[in-house]
Amino acid sequence: MIAVEVESLSKRFRRQTVRPYTTIKSAIVDIFRRRRSAEAESFEVLSGITFSVKQGQTLSIIGRNGSGKSTLLKVLAGIYRVDHGRVRVHGRIGALLELGTGFHPEFSGRENVLINGVILGLSKKEVRQRFDQIVQFAGLEASIDEPVKTYSSGMYMRLGFAVAVHADLDILLIDEILAVGDAAFQLKCFDKIAEFRQHGKTIILISHDLASVEQLSDEVLWLDRGVIREQGKPQRVINQYRCDMLGQEERTGLYGPHESDRF
Amino acid sequence: MLAPFRELFAYRALIQILVARDLKARYRGSVLGLLWTLLNPLLHMGIYALLFSVYMRSATERYAVFLLCGLLPWIWFSASLMMGATSIVEGGSLLKKVFFPAHVLPTVTVTANFVNFLLGIPILFTFLVLYGVQMGLPVLLLPFIIVCQFAFTLGLTFMIAAVSVHYRDIPHILGHLLTFWFFLSPIVYPATQVPESYRFILFLNPFVPFVVAYQDILLYNVYPSPGVCGEMIGISLGVLLCGLCVFTHLRWSFAEEI
Repeated sequence: MIAVEVESLSKRFRRQTVRPYTTIKSAIVDIFRRRRSAEAESFEVLSGITFSVKQGQTLSIIGRNGSGKSTLLKVLAGIYRVDHGRVRVHGRIGALLELGTGFHPEFSGRENVLINGVILGLSKKEVRQRFDQIVQFAGLEASIDEPVKTYSSGMYMRLGFAVAVHADLDILLIDEILAVGDAAFQLKCFDKIAEFRQHGKTIILISHDLASVEQLSDEVLWLDRGVIREQGKPQRVINQYRCDMLGQEERTGLYGPHESDRF
Repeated sequence: MLAPFRELFAYRALIQILVARDLKARYRGSVLGLLWTLLNPLLHMGIYALLFSVYMRSATERYAVFLLCGLLPWIWFSASLMMGATSIVEGGSLLKKVFFPAHVLPTVTVTANFVNFLLGIPILFTFLVLYGVQMGLPVLLLPFIIVCQFAFTLGLTFMIAAVSVHYRDIPHILGHLLTFWFFLSPIVYPATQVPESYRFILFLNPFVPFVVAYQDILLYNVYPSPGVCGEMIGISLGVLLCGLCVFTHLRWSFAEEI
């Protein structure tokens, strides 16, 4: 049973110039000055991505910063639309993409749990029923009624993860946020993820913590500058990734001997 | 074409929560709280009545009630547009991180202002009674006009919200435009007072049929003419469809632009 299927996915972004948005005034002025706003360059952030994830599998995506991992997750979550290719998702999908996903800073943790729970597909009644469990998992009983803007980044993450984890999702997308929690919470998270796998839920994870990636994942995807470089068993792909990284560092002279040889 | 409506229906719990949150946020920390929703149109009415009825000695009878009939719908309309224009940009944090149909955001704005409008209706009826206005069967058309206005307001808000993401000065321009639009609509003066040669301005104004319809059924106890009704239906449907088209066409650019 395939949970997520991606076929030849491509996505372009417009390169944003200094003026990221136009105003009507500037648009009119441009007409008079007879200047076309420079045909916005675009660059391909994802290209020809093809992979699939079976139900109950945990897939980790690794790669350097800027390789397109977060964009890929956002496409899977339905936030970006594909330019080419196809994404097929079977089951309820929810994403933890940034800290404070969907949190409104002025409102209390309680209100934000309700909003987030409903966005993730629960009914109001279900959210209320699970509210205590959620707060307990996050360990935020003391501050649940305070405005979320007063929360630390760890608290944000704990609350977001707590809601996502109690939301009847079949597929969970997690983007690099687990690193923010303290060791105690990380343990809770890993336990929960293990529990998810037992229940046959699918997880797609982005992480730079290669050790936990190796421990948690069934399969690893290595993205490099928008294309899949390697795909397969965690140990193999992670080793290749590490080698490649070291090699690159040597070439740019950070660890290599050739710079100092000049003197 | 129906897909956006199905999506909105599927997300109705979210819309309801966000509307409640919107209304709570507006009055949180304000001394008068909910009372302000009611006080606001009354204050407007008081000032305009002073200006036009007393200072300028307008010949319109029962001026204060006349004013209120057009003012309440106008406040719903203009507030929806103003707040709706920035709804996508402001809701950006949510849109970029979690999946839900962007249509929800302007819908929440229009609905929240609609609730405010509903709260003002008892005040309107109180004034109608106080001024001894005769009301009859035509009043039953009120829900029909309200539904048409909802569609019109929603459609226009969709359009403006979508375009405002790409042209960030639209909310500023909109404020001024709405002031002009207000005075070009027969809210502070009756349509009959407009000289023949200037009537075409009334015809060009899509909000006019609504104002006239409200005034007809509430104040003059007559059914709006078939022409006015037809215009209302045509304009509402047309603007709603246009607005939806524009919005749906632009929706995938939102996450990248905000």
